[in-house]
Amino acid sequence: MAVKVAEEWLNICGGCEVTILDIGEPLLDLLGELDFVHMPVLMDHKYFGQTGEKDQMEIPEADVGIVSGGVRNEKEKQVAEEMRKKCKTLIALGSCACFGGIPAMANMFPLEALYQKVYRESKTTDAADTPQENLPPLLDRVYALDEVVDVDIRIPGCPTNPALIVKALTALLKGEPFEIPERSVCDECPLKREKKAAGGEIKRTLESMEFDQSRPWDNTRCFMEQGYLCLGPVTLAGCGNKENSNGEEVTVPRCIKGYMPCRGCFGPIRKGASPLVDMMTAISSIGLDVKQVPDRRALLNRYIGGQNRLRPLPVRPK
Amino acid sequence: MADEDFEPVIIGFCCNWCSYAGADLAGVSRQQYPPNLRIVRVMCSGMVHPNLVIDALTKGADGVLVCGCHPGDCHYIDGNLKAENRKEAIELLLEDFGIEPERFRLEWVSASEGPRFAEVVREMTEAVRALGPSMYKT
Repeated sequence: MAVKVAEEWLNICGGCEVTILDIGEPLLDLLGELDFVHMPVLMDHKYFGQTGEKDQMEIPEADVGIVSGGVRNEKEKQVAEEMRKKCKTLIALGSCACFGGIPAMANMFPLEALYQKVYRESKTTDAADTPQENLPPLLDRVYALDEVVDVDIRIPGCPTNPALIVKALTALLKGEPFEIPERSVCDECPLKREKKAAGGEIKRTLESMEFDQSRPWDNTRCFMEQGYLCLGPVTLAGCGNKENSNGEEVTVPRCIKGYMPCRGCFGPIRKGASPLVDMMTAISSIGLDVKQVPDRRALLNRYIGGQNRLRPLPVRPK
Repeated sequence: MADEDFEPVIIGFCCNWCSYAGADLAGVSRQQYPPNLRIVRVMCSGMVHPNLVIDALTKGADGVLVCGCHPGDCHYIDGNLKAENRKEAIELLLEDFGIEPERFRLEWVSASEGPRFAEVVREMTEAVRALGPSMYKT
């Protein structure tokens, strides 16, 4: 019997859904065993009956629920709760569902300050009241999915690696547990570390990096040692695919594969770690000038602002 | 804001070779200093990573004092210089977490400087008392 799958998107760009399609040929093998019963991005399935005749939101029962996106407004909160009620196993797909994602950078400001900026202080917009009609009210901040409902499986990434989705679904079909091992991107990165302190200025990625695409990976020096900000030391590994380099099998993280430093989309290596603090330690240890890190809070929490990692700074009552 | 009854909780990281001995000397020579400091003995001030300081300050401490050997005196040659390098990162992180810079201090105290240790603790306690409780304290 096919396993019933329900998919839902909340506060998200839609990239994670594209990643599901991006699975490619392995998807064809999986599809035989999967039966998609609900997926707004592909199927015309309304919450309140096809003609809006029902009073209660209804999502069909399913064995596996895949939810992408964080929770920003009341409607998304209700959908998330309904998904949890109807699905036996719930998968949080992508960094938004796991940690709040890019939208959670807004968590640095109180909601009222955001409204003020967007509707009244923005130079390119005519000042107006905050719209309220026919819109679900926003929550006070962006929540990661697991702050609202219990989550069984987390697949981070922005977007994630299609191979991880296959691995998770296959594990579920076989009844095996699925977890990403607690390793950092540096642990699997094939670039060469000379273990010498880099020292000096932090470079922008626009400035030319030293690499040679025609030679194996271990001929390129670690980007951090070259002076670029790479979030590898504080980011969970898992984005990379295996490939052959110089007769050896190596796993190349995906940003590194494109000769770019890691941006940290897989989130902290273990629960409770703070990439902001750990990364500042790493930068000072390697001898780079910590003062030159631009916009530290947002940059080092770029994908993980939910779960209270980003919040308005405390203000002392006068 | 200065509450009369407010007694700050200050966590002190003292290195085993100089500052902890300095604190010991302050004790045996009966130097008076406020009891607000909770000392944690560490092998070297160079092992006090920013996450220890930030964790303490965001989870209930009102101040953090890190004490190490004077530059050049480190038992591990350059551990205290590592601590000094991290000081800047810690100060920037305090800003990122909205914590007043006075709540963190890095001081050099040698094993023979009992009176100086007492003086540092007195100064720090008064500075933190004037600031009031940490805003991360619930």
